[in-house]
Amino acid sequence: MNAKRLIMSAMIVCSMVAFSAGCAKKTTDAMPASATKVEISDKDTDWQNKPAPARSLSEDEMRAAQRAEAQQAVGNMIFFAFDSFELTPESRTVLNAKADALKKYSLFNIIVEGHCDERGTSEYNLALGERRAKAAQQFLNQLGINDSRITIVSYGKERPLEQGHGEAAWSKNRRDEFKIQN
Amino acid sequence: MRKIWMLTCLLVLLFTANARATDIMSFDIFGPGQTKVNILVLPARGPNGAGSTALGTSFGNYVQSDIGYLPFLHLAYLNEILGGDPSKGLKADDIDFKPLQLGRIDLVMTIGSRGSDIEARVYETYTRKLLVGKAYSQVDAAGLPHVADRFCAQLMRVLTGKSGFFDSTLAFSKRVNGGKELFTASALGRGLTQITRDGGFNVSPSWSKDGRHIAYTNISDKGHRLGIWDRAGRFSHLRKFAGNIAISPTYTPDGRIAIALSLNGHAEIYMLDAAMRPGKALAPSWGISVSPSFDLSGNKMVFCSGRLGGPQIFLLHRDSGQVERITYEGTYNTRPSLSPDGRFVVFARLTGDGQRIFIRDLVAGQERQITFGPGNDEDPSFDPDGYFVSFASTRNGGTKIFVTTRYGDPAKQIPTGPGDAMAPAWGVAPALD
Repeated sequence: MNAKRLIMSAMIVCSMVAFSAGCAKKTTDAMPASATKVEISDKDTDWQNKPAPARSLSEDEMRAAQRAEAQQAVGNMIFFAFDSFELTPESRTVLNAKADALKKYSLFNIIVEGHCDERGTSEYNLALGERRAKAAQQFLNQLGINDSRITIVSYGKERPLEQGHGEAAWSKNRRDEFKIQN
Repeated sequence: MRKIWMLTCLLVLLFTANARATDIMSFDIFGPGQTKVNILVLPARGPNGAGSTALGTSFGNYVQSDIGYLPFLHLAYLNEILGGDPSKGLKADDIDFKPLQLGRIDLVMTIGSRGSDIEARVYETYTRKLLVGKAYSQVDAAGLPHVADRFCAQLMRVLTGKSGFFDSTLAFSKRVNGGKELFTASALGRGLTQITRDGGFNVSPSWSKDGRHIAYTNISDKGHRLGIWDRAGRFSHLRKFAGNIAISPTYTPDGRIAIALSLNGHAEIYMLDAAMRPGKALAPSWGISVSPSFDLSGNKMVFCSGRLGGPQIFLLHRDSGQVERITYEGTYNTRPSLSPDGRFVVFARLTGDGQRIFIRDLVAGQERQITFGPGNDEDPSFDPDGYFVSFASTRNGGTKIFVTTRYGDPAKQIPTGPGDAMAPAWGVAPALD
């Protein structure tokens, strides 16, 4: 008899525990639609999209910013006549400004790329492209920019800026490009 | 293992005693008036004269395609022959030569196939003599084009004494991933293989005369470097020089490299020693000098120079040091190639219609145009026989490689796959596997 009572008591206790657990779950699911559900997480918060606190730029970041400024300052191209490496008055003006920029950004060296239009043949154009790049180098040298800061690469007609086949495209392709090297 | 075709002369060459050069048709493809010979390729036959196998028919098609590259042969067709096919078998006794003679057919070719074996014969119709007879065994579909090429090489050799066109491998630049890499293929475009993966632009390939190396220029943001590709090891070595350039490296017949470097402020041509050190400038001047090309003796070197203003072609006699101006017409003549015998120079001239290829006979002092566009034709290069001239042209849209002859025969495009291809250079080297 005692054993029966004990078993009955245990069953009642168990069923009450089970009932209370079921009720708890039901209560959660039955939140009103308008209520705000708050999730609590231990994960690190992503702060990337938040405004960064004020801090000083790292050395690398400053250099990258300066590099971008320097590229902006020396990036203007100069252009040539057909089969010519003679600097035009316009080119000299552009190079004057470039020399000032190179003095200002003295940490940086540049690559001068010599390019040609498609009309000449490949090998002669590679030599002509070098003369074009060298013409700019020599002019900059006269303005006080050391040759050691300037690397020359002639691409001849391998990398046209414009793909067309008329003078409009050709005149844009006969050029020197200036790129910050380091 | 892929079936490999084998040359077995034994079967058919019982006839070779009849096929001596002294007895048979031969002609000088370099003669002043070009001979044109009519050749008819009869339908292939199977065993006992029955219908052909697919292999035999395919072989016949490849041979006819190859013959299309030989301007001194004219392909005739069966419907031009009275009574149709005048043969009952493959040999002279099985052929009725009379209708062929009436049809002005000079050469007739028979093809027989049995299983993976192929027999091919070419007869001279007026004498009924066998010019070429070959049997090939264990031929499979993949090897068939090479077998056809070998047969045509033999035919060309018998007729002209030359076969450089079929025995050569072309090296050339192709556009890859925004740059250029070097490829090789046979003169018929077979065995197309990319051989460099340097990045940047690989241009101006030049074969060593032994076919073991290719010199070229690599252009990248590191500047110009001389590349040397090694056939045996299938690798490239890049070398930087003083100055800013390394343009138009060219092997001399004795295995040295002439290259345009800028050691004194502008491009001049230097000969490199065995340690790749430049010596004194060849034919120095204040102007640009590039694109050297040598005859087989190595004594004559043509090159392009701006020493008198615009670019013109000059000839250096290396023994005396004398420099001779070669071109006077036009204001922009570039990229010369000297024939192996040193007599002819082909070069690109800028005309009102674009770049065109011209040839100058250094002995006769005469000049003529051999390509006619449209678009631009440039990068001419003599084959090892000095008969064919390959060049790059934009005539069909894009830049592709074509071949003509020094007589200006109609140009034929060499298949080089999709993408632009240019700067072809001939090398006496078998195609890569």
